Amino acid sequence: MANDREVLREIWDGKLPICFHLAQEEIMEIQQPDPFYVMVPRLSYFPLVIDKMKRHFLRFISQENSDSEMWLDFNGQPLKWHYPIGFLYDLYCGNDPQLPWTLTVHFTKFPEDILLHCPNKDVVEAHYMSTVKEADVLKHRGQVMSTMQKKDHNQLWLGLQNDKFDQFWAINRRLMESHGDNDGFKHIPLRIYTDDGVYNQRLVCPKNTDNSRKTLQQMISELYPEKSNVNLRTHGVIIPPETPLQWLSEHLSYPDNFLHLCLC
Amino acid sequence: MSSVTYTDFIEAAKNFIEISNRCCDGWKFIEHDKDKCYLRKETFLNYKNGDYERLLKADYVIFYKESYCVPSFSFNVWNSAGMLLSLDDIRTMSLISINKKDFYSVVTQQEHPIFQRPYFIIHPCHTESVLAAFKDKSKNIIVTFLGLVCPLLNINLPLEYGM
Repeated sequence: MANDREVLREIWDGKLPICFHLAQEEIMEIQQPDPFYVMVPRLSYFPLVIDKMKRHFLRFISQENSDSEMWLDFNGQPLKWHYPIGFLYDLYCGNDPQLPWTLTVHFTKFPEDILLHCPNKDVVEAHYMSTVKEADVLKHRGQVMSTMQKKDHNQLWLGLQNDKFDQFWAINRRLMESHGDNDGFKHIPLRIYTDDGVYNQRLVCPKNTDNSRKTLQQMISELYPEKSNVNLRTHGVIIPPETPLQWLSEHLSYPDNFLHLCLC
Repeated sequence: MSSVTYTDFIEAAKNFIEISNRCCDGWKFIEHDKDKCYLRKETFLNYKNGDYERLLKADYVIFYKESYCVPSFSFNVWNSAGMLLSLDDIRTMSLISINKKDFYSVVTQQEHPIFQRPYFIIHPCHTESVLAAFKDKSKNIIVTFLGLVCPLLNINLPLEYGM
């Protein structure tokens, strides 16, 4: 049960200042466009927060590209829109914070071997919901999502999209409950990423074989036995190694119900 | 909820490869990691639609989806200019007449869990329920699985697999 409302609220309210620049090769006007500054929720996804920015840059690009799919890069690295914004920042700038986070906007040469296409917001919703479902399969064999009504699924997405904490958590708390005789999830939905963006997803139990609560450190020792001094970062902080995984999953998961952790 | 274990999957995959080798169907068994194996076939397709004909390159990967305990089918198809086909292009090639909404609920573009690059992947929820129905009657769970996928994606499955 995700009891610590203060922590949940703090995570929810996290924001990042972004500075968007239009890529030089896209600029068709003599006048250089001003960069576009915006404060975005760490827990959101880029396609949900870039409408105004796109309108701002549209008049500077070639008209034939105005319907093309926009994409973003940081230092030449295309940004995967289906990852939460705060996580992308932790991945690329976690060790070397730089705010505002400066990103480049493109309308041509879509890197289709790296980025998924995102023709509309429905695709973002579909991706989000399928990740939540996968998390539920890991935690509860899918039983919570399958017994929820469509309107509850919609409420999760709307709560996230419209930044409505109470609306979102009214449903999400059910996904954070433990079921049956376990007082924990069956498996913890988590992904561990190295700084090249490659992730490792394994079946991780929140309990040790002696039924004690597994801590982050214990999981690290299991997954990376040959490495010493391994730290994991999420939501901009290095997680204390003695943190129990069950608590971490309930409180520090992203809205997609997964823990996205950066190895550092 | 019936499920296929990773061991079941590997056993079926090795069996599948034997048949593929016998009829030269071009599948390979690849050990990506100590606990991540998959079947892959890279091939060229000659797609005919009336008078219209084009050469396409396809990459098919059958892998095990650990979270759902089922085999999963992923693919990419490129045209002769090297451009990835869209989901709608794939849908129009299907042997089954299926509308956009239904097709998109079964097949979506996702980040592949093994390659971490964009692939079209068939939703595990759909595979799960059908495979559960066939599990006890099937000689090879991967052949059964492919049998479901092939008409949807217009892939040829030689008869040898059923023997």
